[in-house]
Amino acid sequence: MDATTVIAVICSVVVFAGWLVLPHSATTVKPVAVAEERKPVAISA
Amino acid sequence: MTGHLLASAPAEAAAHFDLTKIDTGATAWVLASAALVLLMTPGLAFFYGGMVRGKNVLGMLMQNFATIAIVSIVWVVVSFSLAFGGGGSFVGNLHFAGLQHMTEVLPGYTDAAAQVIPPMAFVVFQLMFAVITPALITGSTADRWRFGAFVPFVVAWSILVYGPVAHWVFSPEGWLFKRGALDFAGGTVVHISSGVSALVAALVLGRRIGFGKQKAEPHDATMTVLGAALLWFGWFGFNAGSALGAGALATSAFVVTNTATAMAALTWMTVSWWHKKQPSVIGAAAGAVAGLVAITPASGFVNVMGAIVIGFGAGVVCYLAIQLRERIHVDDALDVWAVHGIGGTWGALATGLFATVAINSAAANGLFYGNPKQVLIQLLAIGAAWGWSIVGTFVILKVVNRFVPLRVEEDEELLGLDLSQHGEPAYASISAN
Repeated sequence: MDATTVIAVICSVVVFAGWLVLPHSATTVKPVAVAEERKPVAISA
Repeated sequence: MTGHLLASAPAEAAAHFDLTKIDTGATAWVLASAALVLLMTPGLAFFYGGMVRGKNVLGMLMQNFATIAIVSIVWVVVSFSLAFGGGGSFVGNLHFAGLQHMTEVLPGYTDAAAQVIPPMAFVVFQLMFAVITPALITGSTADRWRFGAFVPFVVAWSILVYGPVAHWVFSPEGWLFKRGALDFAGGTVVHISSGVSALVAALVLGRRIGFGKQKAEPHDATMTVLGAALLWFGWFGFNAGSALGAGALATSAFVVTNTATAMAALTWMTVSWWHKKQPSVIGAAAGAVAGLVAITPASGFVNVMGAIVIGFGAGVVCYLAIQLRERIHVDDALDVWAVHGIGGTWGALATGLFATVAINSAAANGLFYGNPKQVLIQLLAIGAAWGWSIVGTFVILKVVNRFVPLRVEEDEELLGLDLSQHGEPAYASISAN
């Protein structure tokens, strides 16, 4: 294996193994309030 | 890009293209690729359009749609000649202005392999690159750029920034090409130039009203994912089409493009999952785009293992660039600098690391294949593209601003670009009357 392949394997392991330790339980997130947009003004044709 | 396949000897003056040597398969692939790349700009419009607020989505779509039309004219009238004409290593002359003399061999494209597609096929393929490059900038200035100022900016930028940089890197006559800079499909020409220019534009136009106080949530994430999917699809034309033929190199470019994109999407998703505790949908889409950007310069020079590393690096580096951009409070609204400027820079540098002549014998090895000098050449190209883009974009914006104010008035910004600039709402719930 050349150096590029070794690095590629390490990168792949980091990403896929990382998923094992990431949070998997449901996270309670407050609904994000979308900023109210200003009401449009009338525009003449 | 294509010059690395095609240039091998000094151009003969006004040598004529031999129409009997046209390869119909190669020509068909290049024309189909041009159509694929064209689709990327509407895809980009959807990618960006979903991330802006509902009152600005038409404004975003219009900037991108108009760019297709504007650059289509500018390219055939003057920019193609500046990019691919002869006459010097800094910028091409006007010999091909108005697409005259298109029966001639393009300067530097003298190898037999260069003469298997008609020059006009090359013109239209390159046009699509010239189209999407200024369109990429629109993401950084979302919600506040006056349309009347955007149009002259695109005209000037296509001529004064894109034309010279494309000449330096893509044309066999260009000074960076002659020094051996590798850029297969536009990591430097397209993504560094647009990403860096996007940062300059964001700084010159200033922050949006309410920036940092109220969050401008994406109004339709589904549009963004659709846009990313269209970009991914069209990018096969961008990269594999840059082989200018339908052979092994095009196939390799196709495979590494897909590989790096997938790896970047997975990496970005993992990093954001770790950072924000949930895997972001928009994050995965942005990660895919970062991977597409980063593999672009390398796509004709690296193998699939190199593509995995490039995709991984794109997912990490571009995500970190966004964190930096947020920390310094720059309102690059849709992170064009982080994804295209930094992603393009990483891709150009990584090309100098992972390029191998086993993939493209017409190019050069990178550092990992015994040629550390290639990294220095890549750094030179990166620095030149950054410098020219910063200065050129700043000057163009300041000049345009003397004639047409770059930024909409406060009332217009609050109302939204759809109504204030175009008099049309995108959705029935946002009415003009």
